[in-house]
Amino acid sequence: MPDPFPPPGFAPIPSAIEGIQVYAPAPAESASQPEVVEFKCPQCGGVTAYSAQDGGLTCTYCAYYEPPEKAPVGKGAQEFEFTVETMDRAAHGWGEARKELECQSCGSIASLPLDSLTHTCAFCGSNQVIQRQASQDILRPWFLIPFKVDPAACHKLTREWMGSSWMTPASLKNLARVAEFNGVYLPYWTFDSLTSAAWKAEVGHTRTERYREGGEWKERTVVDWRWESGQVSLNHDDLIVPGTQRLSQVLLDRLKGFDFQALTPYDPKYLAGLQARAYDLPLEKAWEIAREKMRESTRQACISQASTGQVRNFSMNLDFSAESWRYVLLPIYVAAYRYQDKAFQVMVNGQTGVVAGQRPVDWTRVWLSVAALLAPGLLLSLLGLLTLIFGGVGAIIGGFGFFLLVVGVVIAVIILRQAMSMDDL
Amino acid sequence: MTVMSTPTGWGFTTAHASCSACGWSYLLPSDALPGDGSRALRCPHCFAVELSFVPEPQGGLAEKLAYTSPPELVLPFSLSPERLSQAIATFAKGIPFAPPDLNPQALAGRMKRVYLPQWLVDASLRATWRAEVGFNYEVVSHQDRYSDSAGGWRSQEVKETRIRWEPRLGQLQRVFPNLTAPALETHARLRGLVGDFDTSTAQPYQSQMANASFVRLPDRSPQDAWPDVLPGLQAAAAQQCQQACAADHQRDFRWQPEITGRNWTLLLRPLYTTYYLDDQNQPQAVIINGQTAQTSGSRRSSMKRAQRTALIILSIAVVLFAISAILALAGIAVPPLLLLGGVGVLMAVLVALGAVIPLALVWQYNRSQPGASQSLKQFAGSD
Repeated sequence: MPDPFPPPGFAPIPSAIEGIQVYAPAPAESASQPEVVEFKCPQCGGVTAYSAQDGGLTCTYCAYYEPPEKAPVGKGAQEFEFTVETMDRAAHGWGEARKELECQSCGSIASLPLDSLTHTCAFCGSNQVIQRQASQDILRPWFLIPFKVDPAACHKLTREWMGSSWMTPASLKNLARVAEFNGVYLPYWTFDSLTSAAWKAEVGHTRTERYREGGEWKERTVVDWRWESGQVSLNHDDLIVPGTQRLSQVLLDRLKGFDFQALTPYDPKYLAGLQARAYDLPLEKAWEIAREKMRESTRQACISQASTGQVRNFSMNLDFSAESWRYVLLPIYVAAYRYQDKAFQVMVNGQTGVVAGQRPVDWTRVWLSVAALLAPGLLLSLLGLLTLIFGGVGAIIGGFGFFLLVVGVVIAVIILRQAMSMDDL
Repeated sequence: MTVMSTPTGWGFTTAHASCSACGWSYLLPSDALPGDGSRALRCPHCFAVELSFVPEPQGGLAEKLAYTSPPELVLPFSLSPERLSQAIATFAKGIPFAPPDLNPQALAGRMKRVYLPQWLVDASLRATWRAEVGFNYEVVSHQDRYSDSAGGWRSQEVKETRIRWEPRLGQLQRVFPNLTAPALETHARLRGLVGDFDTSTAQPYQSQMANASFVRLPDRSPQDAWPDVLPGLQAAAAQQCQQACAADHQRDFRWQPEITGRNWTLLLRPLYTTYYLDDQNQPQAVIINGQTAQTSGSRRSSMKRAQRTALIILSIAVVLFAISAILALAGIAVPPLLLLGGVGVLMAVLVALGAVIPLALVWQYNRSQPGASQSLKQFAGSD
């Protein structure tokens, strides 16, 4: 029996020559998805939302459960090249500022910022997921990492994190009023590339030589500079750059450590009841940031090839190849807490539970610690100065005091820098 | 020679002839024939014998004469007289001790025009096909340079062209006109000798194109030639499917064709032929591509001329030896003449040895030319 023609999965496309019919693989079904997906319980008509604890859609009224349909694809998730078309389209952005959304349950109209991918109706509480149009297909999120950490667990993790540093006030754990954690899918760009570099530099080799001066032998250190060269090839895999500039980049950097083996094809069900943001940092800008990191790590790898650590007149040529990117949504909980009438921001990695945020600094404790670090050195140095009239003993005490003072200053500087970074994010 | 009058189609009354030596059969205008046998025609291929007349075509000849329809297309003789003369002169130039008959004048005087046939077939077919087609696209990449002396990084954007491969399949119902196939068993060898012809300059046949020429008749039937058409047909179909997909590349083309019709005609390709007589008074054929002037033929030195030259040198040596011997004898009486006689004998020996040079030169030259000679002989004797 002859095979059917055309075979399944193929659809006719225009032909440039009369008398020849052409069939191509049919486009993916996702292009015909509705622009707005609303989540309602098929049993009771209530509102359904994604539950990190259950790993699927649940109804808050009747315990209806619907497991996710798409299995994780991990690091095998499709990557895209930097085609000229993509870069042009990415440069133009979404092309509109705000979007009017009519709730399909109660008919109320909400005006949403363009980077919102989800919406919960303020009047009827229904969850809606907004999907981008097919023309923007490549620049919509194709993959995400689902939430694994329950919102309830975030409070416990945050309390532990608040008490994990001696620089924070002792009462912080107990008196801080932590607001509800909002699960947000944040936009991230991931980049892959192979960097191949050829470098050359003058590398210094230190040696000691003896020479005669004034009738006696002396030693001195000289550096011999020799040209060296080499080649380095580095594979950069899933280097991530946040696609939003509206949150603290320092905090987002501390939330790194996502396991990309959990990457799952995009499904609006994962976004139901949660917030999700589209990117506001365009692809080209994000790629610039990633390239800068890649070339700097390649430069460090080149320098580390030199036979010594003394390098001058360094130069290198670097080629990027096999560049690709993905636009993914990563799970993050965001909350604010108040302490002594001041607001602080805290974030929790929705996959690993890592916490990053601002913490108030108990500066009294910090300054007392600094004083305690510096006092022994200062006192011993003064004592040494006073006892110099007694000869060598004073010099020994003064020298030891000075040593302690230097050590104290170094540690104090480290403590102060840490405290300032906690307080000023 | 068989003579059959067929006035239709060609635009003149045609006659058929066949060579008893090489087996080539021709069609030519009947008015080119020696009506009473007084003006004999040599075979324009092997030049070995004069074409003779046979009252009735029989056997293989009768079969060959089945394909005598006028051609659809003709590649005209496009060489200027200067270009043709230059090709002949180049062929005849630089041969040591060339045969007396191997000269541009003799070659040009015996020049004949021969058209070689090639099958043209218009094939109608239906097919299903499948292939991978490639589309060019550009990606943006970067090449960066770092230098301490230049103060940091300098980045350069570069665009690279890559190919995106996609599967395509479809159906095809078309007529593929003028697919070519060899009409001669010697097609490949002739191609090796005189090169390819540019078929893009083909013109519709007109009677004046062939009325002063020999037209070689096919010795392969369309049935024999059809398998040779198929690769070209598949290539043409693959190319058209690629164009239908508006693709830049194609690979792994597969199809299942069903031929619904075939129409066979001929394309004539121009060839000049001539010859020269060698030492044994045997004609040596020379053939010239009527489009490109690529020439092929046996370029032989004349051993007879070399022998004559060697004989002259040897004679001089003998005379020199005799004089030297006389001087040497006279040296008995006049001792200084003895020395002169000795030098003379030595010179005579050297000159005698020099007589070998022309023979060795010709022998070596003829040895170095076997390729062309052999290939032409194979081509000539294949029928």
